[in-house]
Amino acid sequence: MANITKKVSWSSRADESASSASTGVGEGTPLLNGSEGPRFSRQHAGEGSVFQIGRLTTVELEEKMTADEDLIRAQTREIPHNEKLLSLKYEGLDYDNIENQLFLEEERRMSHMGFQCLEISRWVVCGLIGFLTGLIACFIDIAVENLAGLKYEVIKRNIENFTETGGLSISLILWGGFNAAVVMMGSILVAFFEPIAGGSGIPQIKCYLNGVKIPRVVRLKTLIVKVVGVICSVVGGLAVGKEGPMIHSGAVVAAGVSQGRSTSLKKDFKMFEYFRRDTEKRDFVSAGAAAGVSAAFGAPVGGVLFSLEEGASFWNQMLTWRIFFASMVSTFTLNFFLSVYNKKTGDLSNPGLINFGRFESESVEYYFYEIPLFIAMGALGGLLGALFNVLNYWLTIFRIRYVHRPCLQVMEAMLVAAVTATVSFTMIYFSNDCQPLAPENNEEYPLQLFCSDGEYNAMATAFFNTPERSVRSLFHNQPGSYNPLTLGLFTLTYFFLACWTYGLAVSAGVFIPSLLIGAAWGRLCGILLASFSSNSSLWADPGKYALIGAAAQLGGIVRMTLSLTVIMVEATGNVTYGLPIMLVLMTAKIVGDYFIEGLYDIHIKLQSVPFLHWEAPATSHWLTAREVMSSPVTCLNRIENVGTIVDTLSNTSTNHNGFPVVAHTLGNDEPGKLCGLILRSQLIVLLKHKVFVELARSRLTHRKLQLKDFRDAYPRFPPIQSIHVSQDERECMMDLTEFMNPTPYTVPQDTSLPRVFKLFRALGLRHLVVVDNENRVVGLVTRKDLARYHMGKHGLEELQLAQT
Amino acid sequence: MTFNHNMLRIFFFCACTHVVVFGDVVSDLLDKPDSLRSPSFPVFKPNVDALSRVDLLTTLTEFSDVSQYCKELLDLFGNQYVAYVNCLVPAARPVKVCQNCFASFVNLNITYTNISSDEKGPGGEVCRDTLLRSDRLMLVFLLFSNLGGIWDKSHCKNCILSDGSSLTNDTLYFLAIFNQTYNCFDQYQQGNHSELCKNCKSTYRDLSNLYSDMEKNDTMCIDIEDAMNATRRHWSKTFNCSFPREENVPIVAVSSFMLFLPIIFYLSSFLHSEQKKRKLIQPKRAPQYTSLMNIQDKLS
Repeated sequence: MANITKKVSWSSRADESASSASTGVGEGTPLLNGSEGPRFSRQHAGEGSVFQIGRLTTVELEEKMTADEDLIRAQTREIPHNEKLLSLKYEGLDYDNIENQLFLEEERRMSHMGFQCLEISRWVVCGLIGFLTGLIACFIDIAVENLAGLKYEVIKRNIENFTETGGLSISLILWGGFNAAVVMMGSILVAFFEPIAGGSGIPQIKCYLNGVKIPRVVRLKTLIVKVVGVICSVVGGLAVGKEGPMIHSGAVVAAGVSQGRSTSLKKDFKMFEYFRRDTEKRDFVSAGAAAGVSAAFGAPVGGVLFSLEEGASFWNQMLTWRIFFASMVSTFTLNFFLSVYNKKTGDLSNPGLINFGRFESESVEYYFYEIPLFIAMGALGGLLGALFNVLNYWLTIFRIRYVHRPCLQVMEAMLVAAVTATVSFTMIYFSNDCQPLAPENNEEYPLQLFCSDGEYNAMATAFFNTPERSVRSLFHNQPGSYNPLTLGLFTLTYFFLACWTYGLAVSAGVFIPSLLIGAAWGRLCGILLASFSSNSSLWADPGKYALIGAAAQLGGIVRMTLSLTVIMVEATGNVTYGLPIMLVLMTAKIVGDYFIEGLYDIHIKLQSVPFLHWEAPATSHWLTAREVMSSPVTCLNRIENVGTIVDTLSNTSTNHNGFPVVAHTLGNDEPGKLCGLILRSQLIVLLKHKVFVELARSRLTHRKLQLKDFRDAYPRFPPIQSIHVSQDERECMMDLTEFMNPTPYTVPQDTSLPRVFKLFRALGLRHLVVVDNENRVVGLVTRKDLARYHMGKHGLEELQLAQT
Repeated sequence: MTFNHNMLRIFFFCACTHVVVFGDVVSDLLDKPDSLRSPSFPVFKPNVDALSRVDLLTTLTEFSDVSQYCKELLDLFGNQYVAYVNCLVPAARPVKVCQNCFASFVNLNITYTNISSDEKGPGGEVCRDTLLRSDRLMLVFLLFSNLGGIWDKSHCKNCILSDGSSLTNDTLYFLAIFNQTYNCFDQYQQGNHSELCKNCKSTYRDLSNLYSDMEKNDTMCIDIEDAMNATRRHWSKTFNCSFPREENVPIVAVSSFMLFLPIIFYLSSFLHSEQKKRKLIQPKRAPQYTSLMNIQDKLS
């Protein structure tokens, strides 16, 4: 997560003093450029220059500044990373269809049959997504099971030997060293090869579904790093789970399959060419995310709801149904292959990656008077979740600022792995909690250590195990299998370990650690309740409280609501718990939101992603499009000089992606009348194919450019620097009429921010042109202009744009 | 409440059809608890005295549907049942239900198999139908299934040969080593327990290993499990022969070293790694409204 932004290191130590002086300014005033007051007040005074529209660039504006203003600006230019930034490297996705002439032509050519084929191939793609996601989940599951089994077997034997002969510190070093080595492999992959594959991937997918293009997030390389990385980190004994990464993996699979080709492998299957655009891809990615959830938790409905809750703003009934299909196929595939692996071919009752186990009918019972208790536990979960998030927030800021070099990140991950092993070992070593081995609690790797023969160390069942097995034993082991002291210590250490681990440069999820922490303190609550009350049969089952605690803790950390309820219900296979789980998650969210946002939102913020929430910030109705928009806008003429286009595109100070096309204007200061909108990617394709007016005249046989040419270049359009335009060609003209979107969405200048926001969010726009009453372009609203405003502690705040 | 409600329903249904009303009333009456029903509707209950009971018995013997052959089988079953139970109870603690009582269970099982087979007896009757299936209680079946449950639960099958003649060799071998271990325990019990731990270790180890092998092969019955449990308890609790926790110092040293590493790491990266700075970009704005400061002016 933190490591996305680490390629560049900005300042040298020499100018640190200058920038540290500016740090106070930057952090103290969240407002944009507080030091620039003088300039604006001066411009206020000059009534004449209200609008400076035309082809002014930032550079031109800067030239007008006086020298001392330049000095002030130089001081505020660099600030330490913080959460109140928006990064320039993120762009929007084009969810809106470009209805240019090429598109209309293609649509005219397409038969009724063609449309039906498209619909069928959408279903095929969804089925494939589900199938492949299920396969990946299956692969991860089997790999983790075997490798972790091997590791625990070796270490167990070693510990047994040394318990007898002495020298347990060697076992400790062996355990720590093994963990560190395995985690190192995963971490090197992530830190050096694909930083975006770090973390759980849920924040990234959330951003993608929100309409932000995160560079490299849905590439094949990311998928491979993610899968191998997650196996390494779970086998390496970190306090992580393999469920979050499944969602990311599903999304990558979806983005890959739906395109019918792999750009990384340079292989084009000539399939599904129609789907090579952001609109279709994004729909499929939401199906992929759903399939990932469904494979991870064995929760198909939960998966669909997850996509609905976390991501897609664009839903219709058919899409939902298709996504549900993908989810089901994914669960089914996982079930089927796991049944083959477990040598029970055809038994499809295997649940997802995490198997919570079934709750027996007696332990399911809960009574009316327990509801307040559940709600109290939900509040506790919210509090602990908020604490977790606050700690992780500070840690992540520290990591972004100081631990940004890949080698340091690898070292950090190794250290965490070694310390995790050390802490676990020490806990097990000094634990006095011995429990008899019984056939019903089938521990995979019981450690005896100093317990009597025939007994095992109860602390080891929690620590010396993969986290999800620990969750299962906390849910299902007999009442009395754990001491309250053991559980308390376990909760405490695991809480800090998990908090420390999340955000490392390894690919790993936070679901299972949260569940584990919650299950531990939930079980503790259950045990304490049973010991306080005289009639112990009332509170007989601590497993029930473990489940409630797990839900509360997870809800407190990630703050998901509907989808999490359904996921928990589906994963435990028990609708009876629907009501308590819902109440608990509600309480946890309310309590937690009072202090800090959910973990994923924090990380999205810290990555400076221009994320649009469901609603515009409250109390922003008095802001109008005029204040929000970027202005002046770089516009292009309908028939434009190639040289101008190349210059505009190669201008490094402005990396705009959308350019309003205006009717030809005479003077520079006069804004032109809007007649369309064209994207950078389209211009690049046009330049590449040299669609110049002069050439078209000279070459009669010139092939007409088709939509296919744009699709072939999607999604990795070459940078402008790689396109060679000769001096002669610079003099040519380009006719944009055919290619531009002739009917872009526009708003008048006085539209309020929430109105603009609603348009943007509901239609998935990337650019919104602001026009005056004569349809002349006065500004352009993009995602970053809207995402700048957010509710802070002191009312509406504005984020700063930064280069990261 | 219920009564009123029912009345209402009756009234309501009256308007519709008589049949429905009738059915409804009857079912409502049946649904009511006894306490409500008994005062108004006395249950038919004949006065039963000792004399009539004897009559009932004699009539039953005269017209009994149980043939002589089946009667004999039932008697045999009863005797063997008693014998098995008599054997089980004293063998409860320490558990020896398999080694002591397997023979009586085998006999009982044979008899029950005879009873439940569908072969015809000398009189052409099938005892299975008369003894097992004639009444709701099915006492014979119930009795046997209880004991069969005990047998299954104790896994005694694993410890006796398939023909039921004797214990398996594995079991006998285990018992031999078990006795050997206890002999050793007896020998050294008086003196220092550390002496015992040292001298009996090899036999105890053998027993342990044998036990874990049997555990893996699934050739264990409750007798062996219990014997082993008791031995382990003696070994670990009574004689205190478990491993002592005596490496505290090296463990604490190694772990505190490990815990110290991250502190060094973070401190050094804080001090030596240059802080990451972000270059701020000036957004292009329509000049007069650019900053929130103006917005605040506007608000005030």
